[in-house]
Amino acid sequence: MNPIYLFFHKTGSPPWFYRFAGKLIPWLWAGFVVLTAIGLYLGLLRAPPDYQQGESVRIMYLHVPAAWLSMMIYGMMAVTGFIALVWRIRIMEVLTISSAPVGAAFTIIALVTGSLWGRPTWGTYWVWDARLTSELVLLFLYIGVIALYNAYDEPRKAARAAALMAIVGAVNLPIIHYSVMWWNTLHQGSSIGTSGSSIHPSMLWPLVFMAFAFKFYYGANLLSRARLKLLAQDHRKRWVQELLSGKEK
Amino acid sequence: MSHTPFILASYLISAFVLLWAALAPVLSKRKLVRQLKVRHTRAQRSDVSQQHMDKT
Repeated sequence: MNPIYLFFHKTGSPPWFYRFAGKLIPWLWAGFVVLTAIGLYLGLLRAPPDYQQGESVRIMYLHVPAAWLSMMIYGMMAVTGFIALVWRIRIMEVLTISSAPVGAAFTIIALVTGSLWGRPTWGTYWVWDARLTSELVLLFLYIGVIALYNAYDEPRKAARAAALMAIVGAVNLPIIHYSVMWWNTLHQGSSIGTSGSSIHPSMLWPLVFMAFAFKFYYGANLLSRARLKLLAQDHRKRWVQELLSGKEK
Repeated sequence: MSHTPFILASYLISAFVLLWAALAPVLSKRKLVRQLKVRHTRAQRSDVSQQHMDKT
């Protein structure tokens, strides 16, 4: 069998996924710590202040990667949710619901840091601008997915309902992305696109490092949450019994 | 206007949110494993006493 196909086939097995995730998590945390240290060093100590924003530009090294990830995680939830609904793969259901609290955390960071950046730069903490409002809607969608999942007693039924909501809510992602083009907003347009970046490398690199650091954080946190969910759902199954009795590590 | 309080608040709040989100599954897992181990030990004990009852 093709090794890639075999790998995807294996990930469908909860005991195998539990062990594989357990091995991967420490490496992801290590990657997060190293990348964050470099990103913070470059962003807080090496990068110059912006000619317009001044020192408050340093908030951008948190705000921008958090905002990117808040959207990326929701996109991932929609994809895993779709796979879970179509092919009924339990691991995908677990990944969909495990992503939601991490995505909500990054959305909160994006909103709070954006608000704290807005006060010295725009003169206000909040405006009902299209970008800000659609990002707030994203937070409500994350909360909605978590609440819907917790409203059911049966975990698989709950996961399927949450997956459906994740797919429907994905309509908000292009609204967030294109809001600065479709409407006249206070929020600036994208400085980084497919055609390149208008940011000076001294400010671009800390952004890149922090963006990768946050992705590692997402990976580690997602797998930790997925392992917890699998353990709770399968606690009567033999592999968990063996794990608890110390026969399996 | 000094930007330092806004920068500090941003980094502190972000660190708190990330730390909380990272610790929550670790603490929940520890609690769950403890509960499951207690349940597992009880089940094993009741199995042993059942076997003893059957013999007597």
